[in-house]
Order: sequence, then C-alpha cells, then structure tokens
Amino acid sequence: MSEFFSMSGYGVYLWPAFALGFGVVIINLVMALNTLSQAKQEAKRRLEMNAERTS
Amino acid sequence: MFFMIVATLFPLTLTPELSRLRDAAPGVLWVGALLSSLLALEFLFREDAQDGTLEQFALSGQSLTWMLFAKTCTHWLLTGLPLALSAPVAAVGLGVPAGAMWSVVASLALGGFALSLVGAISAGLTLGARRGGVLLSLLTLPLAVPILVFGADATQRAITGDAIAPPMYLLGAIAVLGVTLAPLAAAAAVRIGLE
Amino acid sequence: MATWTWFHRFGSPPWVYGFAARWTPWFGGAAAIAMLVALYGGLVLAPEDYQQKDAFRMVYVHAPTAWLSMMVYTTMAVAAAVGLIWRMKVAHAAAAACAPVGAWFTVAALGTGMLWGKPMWGAYWVWDPRLTAELVLLFLYFGYMGLRAGIEDPVKADKASAVLAVVGVVNIPIIKYSVEWWNSLHQTPTVMKMGKPTMDTDMLWPLLLMFLAFALYFATVLLIRLRAELLRRERNASWIREVLS
Repeated sequence: MSEFFSMSGYGVYLWPAFALGFGVVIINLVMALNTLSQAKQEAKRRLEMNAERTS
Repeated sequence: MFFMIVATLFPLTLTPELSRLRDAAPGVLWVGALLSSLLALEFLFREDAQDGTLEQFALSGQSLTWMLFAKTCTHWLLTGLPLALSAPVAAVGLGVPAGAMWSVVASLALGGFALSLVGAISAGLTLGARRGGVLLSLLTLPLAVPILVFGADATQRAITGDAIAPPMYLLGAIAVLGVTLAPLAAAAAVRIGLE
Repeated sequence: MATWTWFHRFGSPPWVYGFAARWTPWFGGAAAIAMLVALYGGLVLAPEDYQQKDAFRMVYVHAPTAWLSMMVYTTMAVAAAVGLIWRMKVAHAAAAACAPVGAWFTVAALGTGMLWGKPMWGAYWVWDPRLTAELVLLFLYFGYMGLRAGIEDPVKADKASAVLAVVGVVNIPIIKYSVEWWNSLHQTPTVMKMGKPTMDTDMLWPLLLMFLAFALYFATVLLIRLRAELLRRERNASWIREVLS
C-alpha cells in the first residue's frame, strides 16, 4: 500500500499532479452546474417580473 | 523616444558591465521595441475612429483592407522603422559589437513591421472596448510572442557572430503571412466595431 | 437533405437546449465511468516505465489535460467561425461557453507539466517552444474572455471575440508540431503518430480511454454551460417559460 503512495519515490510530484488535474475536472463541473442554476433562477425572475408588468 | 529611455534605464539599473549587458541586449532591445509599438498602436485607429474618417472609409466603395494595410505601413514608417534605425545607439550602450549593427537594424525593422501588422488586428478589435489600452496589450501579446522569439534569436546570433539567416527567414515568413492575413482580420474587426 | 435538417435544428435555441438537457446525463455518466476505469488501469494495472519508473503515470493526467486545452480552443474557434459565417447565435453561445473550461485546462496542463518536469528535467519550467506556446494559449483564452467582457454590445462582443478566436488558432499547430520542428526538451509524440504508437499496450489503453473520458467530460460541461448561455441570451423568449416549468 505504501508503495502505491510513494510511487517509487515520485509520489510527492505525482499525487499533487493528479489532484490538480482531477480537481480542475471537478471544479469545472461544479462551476458549470452553478452557472446553469443561476441562469435558470434569473430567467424565472425575469419571467415573473414580465408577467407582473403585463397583468 | 520611449525606446531610448528603456534602453538607457537597463544599463543604469542592472549593471554597467558591458559583457553582461551584451547577454541581455537582445531581450532589452526587443522588449523595448514591443512596448514602444504597443504605445503607438493605441493611436493607430483612435483619432480616425473618433472623428469619423474610419466610418467614411468603411462606407466608401474602396477596400477597407487596403486602407488599413496602408495605415499599418504608415505606423511602421513612423515608429518601427525609426526605432530600428536608432537601435545602434541603444545597442552600443548595451555592449553590442559594431559588426552586428546591420543585423540588429535589419531584424528590428522586419520584426517591427510584423509587430505593426499584428498590432493592427488587436487595435481593430479593441476599438469600442472599455479599457481598450490594457486589452490591446493583452491581445497583442500572444500573437507577438513568435515575433519576439525569432527577433531576439536573430539579434543574439548577430552578437555572437552566427548566421542570422534561419530566424530572419522565419521572421520574413511571419511578415508575409501577416501582410496577407492581418489587414483582412483588422478590417473585419474594424467593421464589427463600427456597426 | 438530412444534413440540412440537422443544421437548422442546431440553429434553433430551444431545440439545442432540449438536446443538451437530454444528453448531459449520458455523456456525464459515460465520462465518469471511463475516467475511473482509466485511472485504475493507469495507476494500478500498467507496469512501471523502464526509465521513468512510476513517474510516467503522470501522463494519465497531463496528456489529457493538455489535449483538452487544445481541443477546447479548436472547438471554440470552429464555433466562432460558424457564428461569423452563418450568423448563428447558438454558435456564438457555444464559443463563449468553451472559454472558461479551456482556460482552466490550460492551467491544469501547465501545472501538471511543471510537476512532471521537476523530477524528470530538474526544472519546473523551461522556455522551450511547446511550453511557451501553451502559455501563449492561456493568454489567448484570457484575451478572449477579456475582450468579451470589455465590449458592451453583446452582438459586437460575439463577433469581435470570434475574430480573435479564429486568428489565434494558428497557435494550436505550433503547440502540436513544435516538438517536431525544433529541438525541444519535451517528449516527441508517441501516441498520435502516423502508424503504430510506440507505447506498450498495457500502458496505452488507459491513456486512450482517458482521452475518451475527457472528451466525453468536455461534452458534458459544454452542454451545461451552453444551456446557461442560451437562457441568458434569449431573455424573454417564450420557449424559456416552457423549459423552466
């Protein structure tokens, strides 16, 4: 197990690299989903405001 | 003018030793050239855009592409070429040997022309933008990197006495590519900005 | 005229929105599974390299991120060109959606590259052509996003940034071929060569699978961001009401 983590001594470089790469993967997914839900909320609000104005 | 100031500041702040300055000379000369070019680019289109001449040209039947190419050439003749011709003065202060001078002038002239071409694109793109000056520099930088790399290489080779043909050919190729494509892109950019 | 029907569909924001909403979970699920399998294959199953020992395993994160940084830019440039030529709003929206993703992956490529470079070359950074060109790519992304933010009129912003994206695409072949054109510290291509790849099969399949996983992942994120862009751009269009209820 400890061999796996040390990666023939390169672990100190390898694991941060994977953390960075897959961290970016996760961050981008989360950010995209956030952007989408924000856009949905804004659109809802706009529709409601328009409905109020015309009613 | 700006170029001269930059070229003078480096020896004053870094080191008076000519041999060490010589190592940094290509970088200093080319960064100075880029910065001077960027400064002048802001004004390339600004006056004409503001007083409406640019619009008239776009509306007239004549080709906007050619007109912008002409403006780019003028820009180079007024800034890039004088800079290249005055470079020997700065270069002497940086320890560049006399035999290299012609090559230094030639590389800066050719590279400066390419920089003007590339800068015309970013100047056109940032015409209507807020904080256009900063954006102009940001947009020009990526496209200018190859010019800087080859130009500095040519200057470096001139200093050490190697053949400058390879990077000069590459600079020439970039300039030719720029001549054919840059005015087109700049015209497209200007038209978008004027809509 | 099946292609023409497709083309028309892609020009319609509500159709694209629906397409994106339907396909996102599938692309996302496939991407996740592929990534996990490829990770296992690369970190556990693949044998260690003769020269680099276990350090070579960084290829499974560095190569896909670098490839994605270029692929996203190319997609962005193509979408921008389509938007300019055929004046398709959806195409401009897609280009805008690509930019932040591409920038992040360029950062990831540079960062993972630095972490690989230090043990292998002894330096975190060298000014060799490929690394410099990748850095230029990052500047191009920033320039693109900066230009969009700096222009008030959305239509002008679309068009101007599209011109920039297309002009900057010359950088992509430079990144790709720089290791062949110049003497570079960076490794020459081992996978994307004409003919057989020179990597061991046990090491190769997780890498190929990881490329596929990242491509699926990009499609997922793009479809999500594209939906957000369409919602923002379409303002008060009637199809939005139906979609949100």
